[in-house]
Amino acid sequence: MKETYEVLLPEMNLADLTGKLIVIEGTDGVGRSTQINLIKPWLEQQGRAVLDTGITRSELAGKGIKQAKAGHTLGKITLSLFYATDFADRLEHQIIPALRAGFVVLTDRYIYSLMARALVRAIDSAWIRNVYSFALKPDAVFYLRIGVEELIPRVVFLRGFDYWESGMDLHPSEDMYESFRKYQTSLLAQFDVLAEEYNFDVIDASANVRTVFESLRAGISRVLSGESHEPLFGSARAKSPEDLRKIAEATEFPSTKESRGSAEKDASEGGEAKPAVHALASAAEGDSSR
Amino acid sequence: MVEGIDGSGKSTQLMLLHQWLQAEGYGTVFSEWNSSPLVRDTTKRGKKKHTLTPATFSLIHATDFADRMEHNIIPLLKAGAVVLCDRYIYTAFARDVARGMDPKWVRELYSFAVKPTVAFYFRVPLEVAIKRIHDGRNGFKFYEAGMDLGLSENSDESFRLFQARIIEEYEKIVPEHEVTVIDATLPIEEQQTLMRQLVKAKLAQAKRLRVAP
Repeated sequence: MKETYEVLLPEMNLADLTGKLIVIEGTDGVGRSTQINLIKPWLEQQGRAVLDTGITRSELAGKGIKQAKAGHTLGKITLSLFYATDFADRLEHQIIPALRAGFVVLTDRYIYSLMARALVRAIDSAWIRNVYSFALKPDAVFYLRIGVEELIPRVVFLRGFDYWESGMDLHPSEDMYESFRKYQTSLLAQFDVLAEEYNFDVIDASANVRTVFESLRAGISRVLSGESHEPLFGSARAKSPEDLRKIAEATEFPSTKESRGSAEKDASEGGEAKPAVHALASAAEGDSSR
Repeated sequence: MVEGIDGSGKSTQLMLLHQWLQAEGYGTVFSEWNSSPLVRDTTKRGKKKHTLTPATFSLIHATDFADRMEHNIIPLLKAGAVVLCDRYIYTAFARDVARGMDPKWVRELYSFAVKPTVAFYFRVPLEVAIKRIHDGRNGFKFYEAGMDLGLSENSDESFRLFQARIIEEYEKIVPEHEVTVIDATLPIEEQQTLMRQLVKAKLAQAKRLRVAP
């Protein structure tokens, strides 16, 4: 039987979800949608009904997020919660009904991308995990892993730099290339931590499209035939979660630390650095009590 | 910051407090629940089509609140203003849990909120509140009456059942978060006097908030 990470939503019945929930994760420009466009017809040829979905595609909040991002006016916590709204709407109105009807649900990213983005922006990790604790545990997560040096040419030649994919909201650099490189480096480090914690199947995405597709096919076939779920292609790295967390911290986006530092100074005059969520609360408290 | 069910008279009291604070020379700003322009269209879409579930209802309001917190309330507090909130996170605690959301999850969701300097809860018997509302307007909106919960086909009856659940939740919040209870059946002037006494005591501790004449 399917289960959530912790919290059950009202009237969420998990008893008869006979479909399979398969997640394709990976950073911006790694080739997720290319692969999904190959997987979907392949599954359909085998007679399986497929629902494909992805972030910001909800009826409810998809449009609102796009409008808000176009204006670059979003606070970090606000953006995280807007994404969570979009996710909850798709979970309840698309994913769960499709699983109940026996579909294979193929999702282009899941809560992990949303968590990684929030963590890079110095959002408190316990807080963001709580937000998504109502999410269904997927049957498998295939993580298309790539190094930043291999990622850059793909993005440059295929579509150019995007404001948000370059973390320009964090103002690390006037130079979009530098910004992209730093932002994606810290994002990938966060993904490696999550890959370990949530037991992703890691697939080397620097290989050509065909090879990646072969790996995905093998993995998905195994999930659909109901074999036990042990990562087939090996986990992120043979390191303990504690080590991985340290790596992620060490490579944390430099400007996040700076901006966080200055916000703290305004508020509590050099108090110990706290994650953004709690820093907000202490900011104003510090003010009114002085 | 004021809390209470519809018809408890909290907004009237907050308006009176605002008048007084302004007369006293404080820089005072209102911040209302569910008022961020950022998510307005999304909330409207969900309410109009009745597609909001307890989870999305909760998250969309948290998004709205976060936007106000990040772009409005915190900058104002830093600038030394007195911020008056008509409803705060306790509204979410009460409503979302009345809709069946996990109490711990909702509380953690709002852990980014600034702890209010003073919090008032206007306690009123359900029948009194309903009578006040009926004198003022007719009919309830779909989500306001908790019609999404299927408690009753009749909107008056559904409103009554839903508000009773909300009151139950408020009563749990009061001791948990040191909220000051005001007896909302007292005459308006008496309630206002109590509020002003308490607010005055708190503002004395934070003199720097006073705007220079």
